[in-house]
Amino acid sequence: MAEYPVRRDPRKIIAVVSIAVVLVVATYAAVTWWRPRFVVYTYSSFLDWGDEGADVVLQRAFAPFEAKYGVDVEIVLLDADANGIIAKLVTESANPVADVVIGIDNILILQEAARNVLEPYISPSLGLINESFVNALDPDHYLTPFDFGLVTLIYSSSTINTTTHPQLGNLTFEDLASPQLASALVTENPHYSSPGLAFLLSQIAVYEEILHTDWTVWWETVKDNINVQEGWSEAWSVWSSDPTRHLLVSYGTDPAYSSSWLNGSEPDTRVAPFYYDNEPWAWMQIEGVGLVKNGPNPELGRAFIDYCLNATVQMEIPLNQWMFPVRTDLTLPSVYQYAIHPDEINILNDLLPPSTISANLTSWLNLWDATRTP
Amino acid sequence: MRYVVLAIPVILLLAFLVYPVLTVIVQGLTSGIGSTFLEVISSESIQYGFQFTIYQALLSTLLVVALGLPGAFILARMQFRGKSMVRALMIVPFVLPPIVVVIGFNQMFGAYGVIDSILMWVQSSSLSVFNLASGVPGIILAHTFYNIPLVLLMVSASLERLNPEIEESAELLGASTYQKFRRITLPHILPSLLAASVLTFLFCFMSFPIILAFGQGRFLTIEAQIWNAFRFFDYGQASSLTLVQLIITLVLAVVYVRLGGQSENEAGETSSIKTVDFHQYRMSERVLIILYVFMIIVLIIGPIITIVRAAVYNPNNGTYTLDGFANLLAGGSQGGFTHLINSLFYSVLATLLAVVLGIPLALAMRSRNRTIPTLASTMILLPLGVSSISVAYGLMLTIAVPTGLVTNPWPIIVIAQTIIGLPFSARAIEISMRSIDSELLEQADSLGASRMQRLLFVEIPLLAPGILVGGVFAFAMAIGEMSATYLIALPQNYTLAVAIYDNFATRHFVEAGAAALILVMVCVIAFLLMERISEGSTTRGAL
Repeated sequence: MAEYPVRRDPRKIIAVVSIAVVLVVATYAAVTWWRPRFVVYTYSSFLDWGDEGADVVLQRAFAPFEAKYGVDVEIVLLDADANGIIAKLVTESANPVADVVIGIDNILILQEAARNVLEPYISPSLGLINESFVNALDPDHYLTPFDFGLVTLIYSSSTINTTTHPQLGNLTFEDLASPQLASALVTENPHYSSPGLAFLLSQIAVYEEILHTDWTVWWETVKDNINVQEGWSEAWSVWSSDPTRHLLVSYGTDPAYSSSWLNGSEPDTRVAPFYYDNEPWAWMQIEGVGLVKNGPNPELGRAFIDYCLNATVQMEIPLNQWMFPVRTDLTLPSVYQYAIHPDEINILNDLLPPSTISANLTSWLNLWDATRTP
Repeated sequence: MRYVVLAIPVILLLAFLVYPVLTVIVQGLTSGIGSTFLEVISSESIQYGFQFTIYQALLSTLLVVALGLPGAFILARMQFRGKSMVRALMIVPFVLPPIVVVIGFNQMFGAYGVIDSILMWVQSSSLSVFNLASGVPGIILAHTFYNIPLVLLMVSASLERLNPEIEESAELLGASTYQKFRRITLPHILPSLLAASVLTFLFCFMSFPIILAFGQGRFLTIEAQIWNAFRFFDYGQASSLTLVQLIITLVLAVVYVRLGGQSENEAGETSSIKTVDFHQYRMSERVLIILYVFMIIVLIIGPIITIVRAAVYNPNNGTYTLDGFANLLAGGSQGGFTHLINSLFYSVLATLLAVVLGIPLALAMRSRNRTIPTLASTMILLPLGVSSISVAYGLMLTIAVPTGLVTNPWPIIVIAQTIIGLPFSARAIEISMRSIDSELLEQADSLGASRMQRLLFVEIPLLAPGILVGGVFAFAMAIGEMSATYLIALPQNYTLAVAIYDNFATRHFVEAGAAALILVMVCVIAFLLMERISEGSTTRGAL
């Protein structure tokens, strides 16, 4: 007589699986449960470019604030450039989670969407900095200045230099449009990246205000040769690892970074600003701190913005962010002798007033998209 | 009572799929942020996007059919050792996460990849000389790799059902090979061929990670343009594009269901298929077969195997290193280990949910009512036709923001992954339901079993292989999901798939390769396990 197999009860299996799932999910939820804290949104490479790394630097910079107010400051490093941060704030505008946002610059604040998610705040600490920064960044005080820098082309002198490529000492956009230099260029997408947008606006400023010709022609000429990356980190990676890409749209403080990498000696990275009318030109970018509208902790947010202008935080900027702190009274590290300072160069922003930019930005970006169509 | 059970998944899908997407579309079109619908349609770059999407999908489909058809014949007609294993593994490229396909392709055909390294060595060059993994050629080839299994498996399954007696009679009556093919074989396989083509077109149309990685930011499909629009908060553009894409893909999905329905009626006995041994072919045919197999090895097996090299070779400095794996074991919120845990946790949850929701939906599709099967089929096909990025954004907007879940949106990620896996689990379960002998169920009834007892002790154990197949498919889809997760996730929620793309974009190739290798191994293991348990009915059981 054959033995019948023992009948397995599916209900037991289902019960066991259900209990296991509930246990695991409950544990995970308990571990990751949200504790009320003070939230700052910023981009992913914030204060991360020093020797110590962002974790150490952020801890040191903001520990006094945490101690004084008895809060946990959570700095959320979003994997997006400033535009992406604004997009996230817009998504969350019905129920914001962030209190403060660091990293929106003088161009992005011209967009209405950015102003809609921020609340103006006039900080008493503004007396510590030069008023010109406030006017250049945002006279309406949606943003409080944090750091500034110049966006320009850089190259590594070990791969090309003014001997092999004399145009680099006197660079114009027309030089850059040549196949030789265009196929060596890496830049960023102006939709997502603030240096990318600064580069586009530099080019528009030159072509509209100095040369008085159609700026889209340049992009059409170079479109098959240049390399456009999503953001500055990706562009930097390409520039450092691809032997054919020598020129990068980056910041005028990069020679200082290169010098500190070589322990204070002459830097490898050089700057190639644009020369027109025998004058060098570059684009100035000022980044600011903003109070998120309807954020959970507005009082703390205001205190935080005041705190960002303290020496404790501003001191960390030169060696970790590689931008100039807005507190010009602080001494800069010696490697900064190799960085270009806005006093030494003409500022392209002066050619394009904010009203022109905010009126035309969308159509300029659409025209740029059209030039990129293969 | 039965209708209540069937209604639960429908309600959930309405709440988590239909409502979020509708909200996104309506809000985008009416809120005034960003471009209007007309502006979007008339924009030059958007129109280029439409053209390019259709062009690349069409080209990929043609290539897939041209390359896959000979393979289908070989798979159906030729007898060789290890045939069942080959057939089982053939589904692997299709279920590999697209981002893993990117890594494998880049490693095989890209700069400093396997072919490039060989050519560099031959030409004694230190710079890359061969790069097929970028731009339009890269996109088309990657799509071909990804979708050839569809044609191979669906057409060979149909071929095996062709009654050999028909062909033999034709031969006896003096038909030439060409006449046999044109008048007997081709009409027979046409429904499955068309169904496979439509599916391929649909997947290429909705393709996103491959476009993102190889498109150089200039070759964009509609899905990529939707992604871009969300990122620079042009919600009008995102919603308009989602709407247009939805209309096109729904049409395609309906066509697929119609074609798939027809081919069910011509099932013949598969046991009497005449298979031919390799040596019985003529020499010319044998050469062709060998060439074809070689091409398949290079195009399909090559990229998968070279992922091993991608995991250890760093093209930035030309060295072999284990840094990629070290990164996988790194802890912390940005470390690779967190990504691994996240991947497993979210995908397992999503799989369980997809299976639990798939069973009632599959039952609904078998219902004898008039409207319920259509409703259920539509619900199941919806995720395939809707931009997963819009779904993700909709979930963020309608669920995460109001509840404050944005601080740690992992439940939304699980929901998004469930939705993406649901079509596959429901379809697999439904197909396995067809093979249940209704007499067994009636016997259970006549022996006095209650409804519950019949379900638990007869139906579900019989369905178990189908449930397993569906679960594994859903798992593969969930763990490989990148676009929706990338949109929602904060850095601490990153899964392996997202980390792979992130590393690839910032040229951390070894880290990307190591994570890709883990994903491949997980998928392959899951499939072999499933093949073992369901004994060969897998591949027929899911498409």
